[in-house]
Amino acid sequence: MTQSHWIERSLFAVNSSTAERIGCGIITDCPKGNLGVDASTLPPVSTVVFFVVICLPFLELTNNLNSMSHDQSYIRNFSIIAHVDHGKSTIADRFIQVCGGLSEREMDKQVLDSMDIERERGITIKAQSVSLNYKASDGKAYQLNFIDTPGHVDFSYEVSRSLVACEGALLVVDAAQGVEAQSVANCYTAVEQGLEVLPVLNKIDLPSADPERVKEEIENVIGIEAADALEVSAKTGQGIAEVLDALVKSIPAPSGDPDAPLRALIVDSWFDNYLGVVSLIRVVDGSLSKGEKITMMSTGMSHQADRLGIFTPKRVDRTVLRAGEVGFVTASVKDIHGAPVGDTITATKSPAEEALPGFKEVQPRVFAGMFPTEAEDYPSLREALEKLQLNDSALKFEPEVSDALGFGFRCGFLGMLHMEIIQERLEREHDIDLVTTAPTVIYQIETIDGETILLDNPAKMPETNKIKAFREPLILANLLLPQDYVGPVIGLCEEKRGVQKDMQYLGNQVSIQYELPLSEVVLDFFDRLKSVSRGYASFDYEFLRFEEGKFSRLDILINTEKVDALSSIVHSDFARPRGRDLVERLKELIPRQMFDIAIQAATGSQILARSSIKALRKNVTAKCYGGDVSRKRKLLEKQKAGKKRMKQVGRVHVPQEAFLAVLKVDKS
Amino acid sequence: MSDPSTPLTPPPLSLYLHFPWCVRKCPYCDFNSHQRSGDLPQTEYVDALITDLELDLPHVWGRSIYSIFMGGGTPSLFSPEQMDRLLSAVRARIPIRPDAEITMEANPGTLEYAPMDEYRAAGINRLSIGVQTFDDALLSRIGRIHSSAEAASAVSRAQRGGFDRINIDLMYALPGQSLGQALYDVRMALDLGVEHLSHYQLTIEPNTLFHAKPPVLPGDDDAWTIQEQCQAKIQAAGLVQYEVSAYARPGQACQHNLNYWRFGDYLGIGAGAHGKITSGSSQQVIRTTRQKHPTAYLASAGTEKAVIERRALTQSDLRFEYMLNAMRMNEGFEIDHHQQATGLMLDQDQAPWPSLRADGLIEQQGLQIKPSARGRQYLNEITERFLD
Repeated sequence: MTQSHWIERSLFAVNSSTAERIGCGIITDCPKGNLGVDASTLPPVSTVVFFVVICLPFLELTNNLNSMSHDQSYIRNFSIIAHVDHGKSTIADRFIQVCGGLSEREMDKQVLDSMDIERERGITIKAQSVSLNYKASDGKAYQLNFIDTPGHVDFSYEVSRSLVACEGALLVVDAAQGVEAQSVANCYTAVEQGLEVLPVLNKIDLPSADPERVKEEIENVIGIEAADALEVSAKTGQGIAEVLDALVKSIPAPSGDPDAPLRALIVDSWFDNYLGVVSLIRVVDGSLSKGEKITMMSTGMSHQADRLGIFTPKRVDRTVLRAGEVGFVTASVKDIHGAPVGDTITATKSPAEEALPGFKEVQPRVFAGMFPTEAEDYPSLREALEKLQLNDSALKFEPEVSDALGFGFRCGFLGMLHMEIIQERLEREHDIDLVTTAPTVIYQIETIDGETILLDNPAKMPETNKIKAFREPLILANLLLPQDYVGPVIGLCEEKRGVQKDMQYLGNQVSIQYELPLSEVVLDFFDRLKSVSRGYASFDYEFLRFEEGKFSRLDILINTEKVDALSSIVHSDFARPRGRDLVERLKELIPRQMFDIAIQAATGSQILARSSIKALRKNVTAKCYGGDVSRKRKLLEKQKAGKKRMKQVGRVHVPQEAFLAVLKVDKS
Repeated sequence: MSDPSTPLTPPPLSLYLHFPWCVRKCPYCDFNSHQRSGDLPQTEYVDALITDLELDLPHVWGRSIYSIFMGGGTPSLFSPEQMDRLLSAVRARIPIRPDAEITMEANPGTLEYAPMDEYRAAGINRLSIGVQTFDDALLSRIGRIHSSAEAASAVSRAQRGGFDRINIDLMYALPGQSLGQALYDVRMALDLGVEHLSHYQLTIEPNTLFHAKPPVLPGDDDAWTIQEQCQAKIQAAGLVQYEVSAYARPGQACQHNLNYWRFGDYLGIGAGAHGKITSGSSQQVIRTTRQKHPTAYLASAGTEKAVIERRALTQSDLRFEYMLNAMRMNEGFEIDHHQQATGLMLDQDQAPWPSLRADGLIEQQGLQIKPSARGRQYLNEITERFLD
């Protein structure tokens, strides 16, 4: 999809690779897959948590962390909120350097360069945890736990999860570019959760940096005090130590009760091939000791805490984790549902009375069918989805049968990026050729029998005469853009059936709020927004409500046969133009075959648009003599393989892209 | 997969002799041909062909030659004396049937001063002339060295020199060619009174200049119209289509090519030549390939080094290759013949037969199976289904 998505994804890679390099001397025996150095654990999986502990050649220091007498007042848990490219990872590198992790030469030559390579490759890796040991200007040593947050709107729920483990956050803003919508949203989340937010202006060394304007913008757009925002250049190292000092001063120490019964929040859980389920926890009250019996408060299941420790980034075992600390625990939990994210761990012997407030369970917003091109791949697809789900609780799936595509799964995703990542992982890592149907949002239907149905599959829509009310999900979109693009962006929102709610001029930036149907956003909103604003508009959204409207199911018939996988729910006013676009698009995508192909779009029994693909006149190899038979064979094999990648609907071979054609319509 | 229940019976044996040089390499040509530089080593090359042939003789012991085809490249760059020497040497080493068809490919532009009667006297009894088109502008567009007038005169000279079996190669759907131009080519060829026409659509093959720099060709629908109308015109003149691109007066079909399409055997002698030999004793069908480059071939001919591949076909190869060839002919094939030539039973209840029938791509009369008119239109559809 959009380029920005890929940049977003590579960001994860940058962070984790940094962590990996830092630990290069001691991480070599680290089993693949545990701390996320494994490419199979991608970002949707979780919050990216960094506890930077300087470990090279500072094993001793690690031991210090281990044995240091425990005093919560010397712990600071923080995360960094930043838009892609605003310099989060470079700042993180500088922190490591200032804390003595690597020499400047090593930083430049090894860490940063190798990061660039990772960035180019766009490898996405689940980040690993790092902790920093920092001697502040007051002469005291602090344990700084740095917790990263993903930037993409699909994963905003991950952000709130990481933030729960912190007492403060740095808001990093590019001193030239100014504030972006995603940072605004994440910053609000931090403020709502009672975190101390410290604004930091990065890239202050750029000639185009305009700190005064950006400070004003932070105050105007986000509404937090920014006059004293720290000015840094992660590139030159300017101001980095000051940030660390400010962090120690302004961010409160953890405030749990070290003597109360144990309460530890599961921030994230993932499946590790060697250890089973590993949970990242934040100890709020009390302490957790190795070998102790623990209970998951939601399920009541008890386990023994086999191993616990911290990430340095190497997994360092500890015998105890105390209030205020963040670390991992493994407890022979076989599958990830046994250690649900947001659950509270307590001690079986003296349990806490009340669980910590957990997280809202994340609801998938976008649904699509995934079908193997080869029917015999169905069991492998199920297995692959199950494996992915181990590390990605947001992924939902259930079996689906399509007349056109056979057996597959209806999958629920957080958003389009999430869907693309899953799709890519299935194809790349699990080597399954897929046909993915056009994504749809969930509709709410009230039947005349008074039943409420949540419709995640157009094919399952009840008969029109059974429907009393048809509602679609609405979102509130927050857009932030330079003044010049107000016109085109408003035009786009109106075209997408949006209703303007608010517009404010904040210095050079304009903040616009629109109520938009989620279905329109799912289609191609990101791409269109990027193109009408030349990449300057940023966007964030939250779910608002279901709203009643007139909707119909737009069916596509190929040679008079309805292709269920091509059906979509559309606003009735747009059924005809959408149908026309779709038919034309399919005409382009379906190759000519031995016979004429009629393509029709219909709602109910009413045909809205039609088109046809003329039969291929011939498909013949002109010359074939005694010569190179194997060359002719290769040619035909290629032709055949091309067909194999298509799905056969009746006698018609339909290429995979056709099933996503719904996405690409009205792009003109 | 069918059981190999019938013994393989060696089919008729042909001989293919390859001449890998041309005056100029054509931009559409993917055959093994090399631009001539200086004088051709005619004597050495003919010597090489003879020793190369000797290498394969043990594999065809006791069999006689049913047809010979001298292809290229441009065999007509070789003198009648060399051709005479070559054919005499072949005759001395393996029996050639008295009625054998012996064809030489010739290109206009190399035939102006060639003594046609001498080629005829050497034993060559059929000429295949690479005219391609009678339109001078198109000729130069497809990189040919001759003119339309030279082409016509080459044909007349051959006829006067005693050749009563002449084929003209024509290509259609050439870059920028109109229907009218294509029909003109057909009329010109028919007016020259030849017995055989090969009428192919120009296809862009990999590893050709046209593949690297594709010319603008008529669209599929236009190419189809050209084919339909040219076909009608050729057939109206009494030449009958017997293969995808081949038309002949009754009794004038090219026996050598028919042997390929009937899955016959052939020795492939010369640089880059391909052969196919059925061995009754080992019950195998062997494909052979010779060194492609003339220099490498000349250096190794007569030794096993000249053979870069000698490969026994698998059952799946046999099944596919038989159909790849047999379905090209309007007459199709007889089920018994399939069994003799491949050693495999043909089970019509097995894929892809039911789907071929359902899609109307084949027709059957008794034991004869042939592509339907529709099947001939979508021949690749048919053959592709025999790939596993």
